[in-house]
Order: sequence, then structure tokens, then C-alpha cells
Amino acid sequence: MTAVQYLRAENLAQALAQAAAAAGERMKFLAGGTDLCVQIAEGALDPTLLIDISAAEELRRIEHGAEGLRIGAALPIADLLEAARAAAAGKRTESAGIPRCLLQGAAAIGSPQIRQLGTIGGNVCNASPCGDTLAPLIVLAAGFTLSSARGSRVVPAEEFFLGPKATVLEPGEILESILIPASHLSGRSAFRMIGKRNGQAISQVNVAVWVKLEQSGGTVSGGGSAAGGAPGAAEGTPAAGNSIEDIRIAAGSVAPIPLRLGRAEERLRGSVPDEAALQAAAKAVQEEIRPISDVRTSRAYRRGVAASLFMDVMAEVLEREGG
Amino acid sequence: MLLEFELNGRQTRVEAEPTQRTLDLLRDVLGLTGTKEGCGRGECGACTILLDGKPVNSCLLYAAKLQGRRVTTIEGLAAADSAADSASGRGAEGNPPALHPLQEAFLSEGAVQCGFCTPGMILSAKSLLDQNPDPDVREIEEALSGNLCRCTGYGKIVKAVQKAAAAAQAAAAQTAELGPGRRAASEKSGNGAAVRSTKAKSAGNAKSDRRQRGASR
Repeated sequence: MTAVQYLRAENLAQALAQAAAAAGERMKFLAGGTDLCVQIAEGALDPTLLIDISAAEELRRIEHGAEGLRIGAALPIADLLEAARAAAAGKRTESAGIPRCLLQGAAAIGSPQIRQLGTIGGNVCNASPCGDTLAPLIVLAAGFTLSSARGSRVVPAEEFFLGPKATVLEPGEILESILIPASHLSGRSAFRMIGKRNGQAISQVNVAVWVKLEQSGGTVSGGGSAAGGAPGAAEGTPAAGNSIEDIRIAAGSVAPIPLRLGRAEERLRGSVPDEAALQAAAKAVQEEIRPISDVRTSRAYRRGVAASLFMDVMAEVLEREGG
Repeated sequence: MLLEFELNGRQTRVEAEPTQRTLDLLRDVLGLTGTKEGCGRGECGACTILLDGKPVNSCLLYAAKLQGRRVTTIEGLAAADSAADSASGRGAEGNPPALHPLQEAFLSEGAVQCGFCTPGMILSAKSLLDQNPDPDVREIEEALSGNLCRCTGYGKIVKAVQKAAAAAQAAAAQTAELGPGRRAASEKSGNGAAVRSTKAKSAGNAKSDRRQRGASR
């Protein structure tokens, strides 16, 4: 451990230059360190160089623009939640409109201490199949801006993950920011996870959904964000009778990567989500996931509970009783 | 690397390996052993410190990240309210400084059994009360959800935080009752002096409780 070299980057350009100059090193970008420190301490990772990006202000911003909501990769999870709380209290309007499923996923991560240090980009780049912001970012059609000294590219969230701890990031490449497109800031979303306890638990299964509802009079508006109230508060109007114009469903801890569930989506897209349609979609969820038994729980439990969590998130976005 | 940061109210300069754990820097180099190591991997919260007032796991925090920051350990709590050698936690004349209201409440409510989780619990609770002076039980439980206790079952810990919150609220109300003239006069004597005097009063009551318990042992 004492042999590892440590560099602090004051901004993105400096981080990329430091990375470009580090040929031959086993380099890791360090943000909050809540996973990286443990992996290094346990010998799972053995870097020779750490580039600390946590002080780079430009990587810690939340910005609204015409293209959507852009979140800096080094934004601590606690700061994301605090921005939404402040927006709900009418204090900082530029932070309004963070989709509900992302806030629910962020709040499910670790403990208050972990959320204080840990960052949204760290949760993404750690690429654990159980990461609680991953399914939300997939259903929100997020795009990840990846940058290196050679330039930038945008990769959709659902194409970023290759396996447990494996991503499309190339050596020297950094996750710079996450863009949730304006098209997916409207609509309604929800996230649920189940773990062994409420605090400090890792997801045994998690499920996220985003829907755009349609009435005969037009698209149902005003959903999916924390702009109008505290996270978890009711939003919009009851929507159980509306048809689903578009839907995205994803689940975590049910495959080597966070998984988008296209077949379940197809069951519901363009349909009125009555009980029979929801049950059919829940069955499609169970067929599409590829869970394993591991230290946290069994394959059969994951398969069963994934359907229940799916019904719960659908009940939330449709504002139906029970689930 | 040379680190410069504020530790328990004092500017501190110390030479450290950048990737040394803050936990080890505090305990082994700076001699502040009130911060405990439980799991060493960010799950138990025994090593909780406050970084710029917010709770973090010092076992997951490389020393380099302390540069220019403000750190509070359990040793800094009692000292914060007294003219003491705050970095070491010793009082001005070698006497232990008056305890923080949270520490008093943990004692009087019996929220301490083996005591290993207590420093982290108290620091997480302090951060909560600094932001939310009147939390409900759910908010207290949420704020302490990253601190594991294997002795108490948490009930007494939650009660202690409620008691400290109530004491602080009562003290604030008492301060507000003082006339503007008196308040201005007492504030002249030092930063937060009016609050401190009422805090000391409630701490004094808790202390006599403790003495009684000690005598009956």
C-alpha cells in the first residue's frame, strides 16, 4: 500500500493529463473511495497510481439544460439527495427535477457515512450488478459521457456494463458526467430494493421502472420528479386507467450486469395496465432475469421477489392501491 | 506528504503517507484513540468521524483527502465547549473538560454498554442534531443506520439522542428568554457563551446523576 502513488486532480483536464502521462502504471481514478479502498485493502486491486478526482468542482455539478439533467460523476450521493431536498423545500430550483427512481436508488445505498463519501459515478464505475443507481439510470435512458485525453464519447447506460466490475471504460478513460435526457425527465418512475435490513444492506434484488402514460386527452404530465414535493410524496394524478405510451424496466442483482427487461416492457407498451397485463408482465420479468444463488440469497428467492418488486414499482407509478 | 487540516478546532500539520487510512493517522500518529476500528471496511461505523461536519468512515478515507478539511473526532466534542487543549481532549489544567450534552445523555440513559460503538454513534448523532435540532425517531434511526451496536438493541441510544435534543432545545429557549441586553452582554464574553452556560447547567444535572450511580455501584 505504501508504494502506491497518489495524485490529486483539481479539474478534469488535469486528471486526463495525469492519466495520459501514466502509461505503464496500474492507474485507478479515485472518487469517494468507499469501494476502491476496500478492494485495495483486501488485495482485489493493486494499483500503482491513484488519481483523486473528488476535488474537481466541475465533476460535482448538477445542471439543467435543454438536453436534460446532467450530473457530474464525482457528485457525492448525499449531495444528490440534499439537492433534491433543497429543491423540494423551494431553496435551490436548479436542482429540481431529479427523477424519483434515481433518488430512491441513491437513498438505498450503504449508510449515511457511505453516501457522504461515495459518488454516483463511483456507483456506476464500480459496476456491481447490485448497484442501486444502475437500474434507475438504465430506465431513465441515461447517457454516460466518457472522456480521455483522446476525446469524449457517449455510451448509453444499458451498454456500459460488461459484467461484475467490468465496463466499457478504456485505460485512462473517465466517466465525466451522466445525462438524463429531457424526454425521460417527464413521465413517472419508481425504484424498490430488498435487502436483509433497511440500513447498510446490499440489494438482493432491485427493480426500477419509468413510464410515460397516455390518456385520450393526451400524455399525462407532471410526474417522475421531486420538483413538486419531497421524495416519495404523491405526484400527478391517479393514472390507473391510462394506457402506457412508453415504458422501461430494469433490475439489479439478477444477472452479471444490471439488466433491461425488454420482453416485460413489450407486454405493457401501448396497453392499458390492468391486473391481467401486469401479471403477464411480471411473469415476463421472471423469465427474463438470470439470477444465481450466492452469499446474499438464493436463485429461487430472487426470481420470486423480482416479480413482487416489479408489481410494487408499477403500483407506485400507476398510483394503485396494493400491488 | 505534508497534511494541513483543522482537527478538533486546531490547525494541524502532520506528515503522512497519502494512502494511509485516516483511522490509522488519528490513532497511531496523532494519539486520538477514541476513534475505533470495527470492521475496517465501512460497514460498522465504529470509526466514524465528522469531515466538515458530516459523518464519514475514517477506515475508508485516505489521509490525503483531509487536506484543507475540518475534522472532528470524539475527543473534540467535550473540548469544543471548554477552553481546553482540544486536539488532545484534555482540559486546560489537565482536568477532563465538561462533556458534550450528547455524551451526558448517553451516560444518563445507559446507552453505553461495551462502549465500542459509542464514539461513532455520538458523532453521527451530533451531525444529525447540528442539521436537525428536533428529529423524530425515524430520523434518528436513519441517521444512526450506519452505526452498528451489538449490545444495546438501539432503544437506549435513540432515547439518549432524543434527550440531548430536548436539552439543547430547552437551552435555546432559555437563551431566547434572556433580555436582548443581557444576551448581548453575555455574547461579548465569548463565542456562544450564552448557550454554553445553559448547556453546562444541564450537563451538571446529568453529572450528579452519574455520581449517584457511581456511588451505588
